[in-house]
Amino acid sequence: MSPLSWNLILALVWAAITGNFSGANLLVGFGLGYLILGFALRDVPDFARYREKMPRVLMLLTHFLRDLLVSNLRVAYDVLTPTHYMRPAVVAVPLRAKTDGAITILANMISLTPGTLSLDVSSDRSVLYLHVMYLDNEDDLRKQIHKLEDRVLAVLE
Amino acid sequence: MINDLLVSVMMVAGTFFMFLAGIGVLRMPDLLMRLHATTKAGTLGAGLVMLAVATHFLDAGVTARTLAIILFILLTAPVAAHAIGRAGYFVGVPLWDKMLKDDLKDRYDPDTHILHNPDDDKNP
Amino acid sequence: MLQSAIFLSYLLLSLALLGALVRLVRGPTLPDRVVALELMASLTVAFIGIYALNNDRPAFLDVAMVLALTAFLTAVGFARYLEKGGHRGDQ
Repeated sequence: MSPLSWNLILALVWAAITGNFSGANLLVGFGLGYLILGFALRDVPDFARYREKMPRVLMLLTHFLRDLLVSNLRVAYDVLTPTHYMRPAVVAVPLRAKTDGAITILANMISLTPGTLSLDVSSDRSVLYLHVMYLDNEDDLRKQIHKLEDRVLAVLE
Repeated sequence: MINDLLVSVMMVAGTFFMFLAGIGVLRMPDLLMRLHATTKAGTLGAGLVMLAVATHFLDAGVTARTLAIILFILLTAPVAAHAIGRAGYFVGVPLWDKMLKDDLKDRYDPDTHILHNPDDDKNP
Repeated sequence: MLQSAIFLSYLLLSLALLGALVRLVRGPTLPDRVVALELMASLTVAFIGIYALNNDRPAFLDVAMVLALTAFLTAVGFARYLEKGGHRGDQ
């Protein structure tokens, strides 16, 4: 059984013992289960990797939520003021992610982060076509996408 | 009391973003930019409203359902945007004349619907 | 306070619906209308959420869930239809 399912079972056990199945209590149980697994089974390779992976997932999530908020504020400003400041373009960005899952997650996150919308992936899966709302510098954009790609790949590997 | 305050703030913030999505879809100059407005603002808005609902009821069943709705919107909104944007390209929707560049131009094969990458131009 | 927040939310959502409706009527192309319809669907999901909150009826959330599901299917279906060479707008 995978470390994640063990952790989920521990969360359920915690909820059953405390007799409270609310979302917050399940989260507490998950956190406690994570600590217990990370400490008690730190010598088992599978669990050691799991312990390192969890903070990365959290990082990805917090970055994602912050980006979602920032992107909305920027679009909000442009929508509400009478002049359009947009500098739109469709840009091709090379992809390193090869699996369907990684490309899907990356494309979805790109669509929900500042000023970028993923339009399509070339049929040989080597290039991702993005629509950008504010194109200042193409290289900066590529670097930004690469950083996001690194974070996604770090979680999926 | 505190709970009510939290619910009110999240609900008004969420609906404000949805309001922005409505204005955006009305004011943006072309299809792709309208997609920007609806995917981002619509997702964040609906997510915040659903979080407000979960906070108001504080019940396991309701929380599970709201989380399911949020997860579902997060997964489907970008996919729908991709499908519509791609379809827009195929039917030749007019794009804003102030576009800086368009890498996607002429990359679709109109018959086979294969999308080429930029390297194909150099060695066809 | 919660009541006035609910009222304000209803107002904002109605204005957004109005904006989407104008875009739906004005077009100018079919994909534009599909975008407007999709936005209206997610606006309705939020509407149902606030209605459930206002009336203390969590059962309405099931409706919101099904609506979110079908709206996605509609958008994808329309996109598919357009791509396979359907009717291309109406200018």
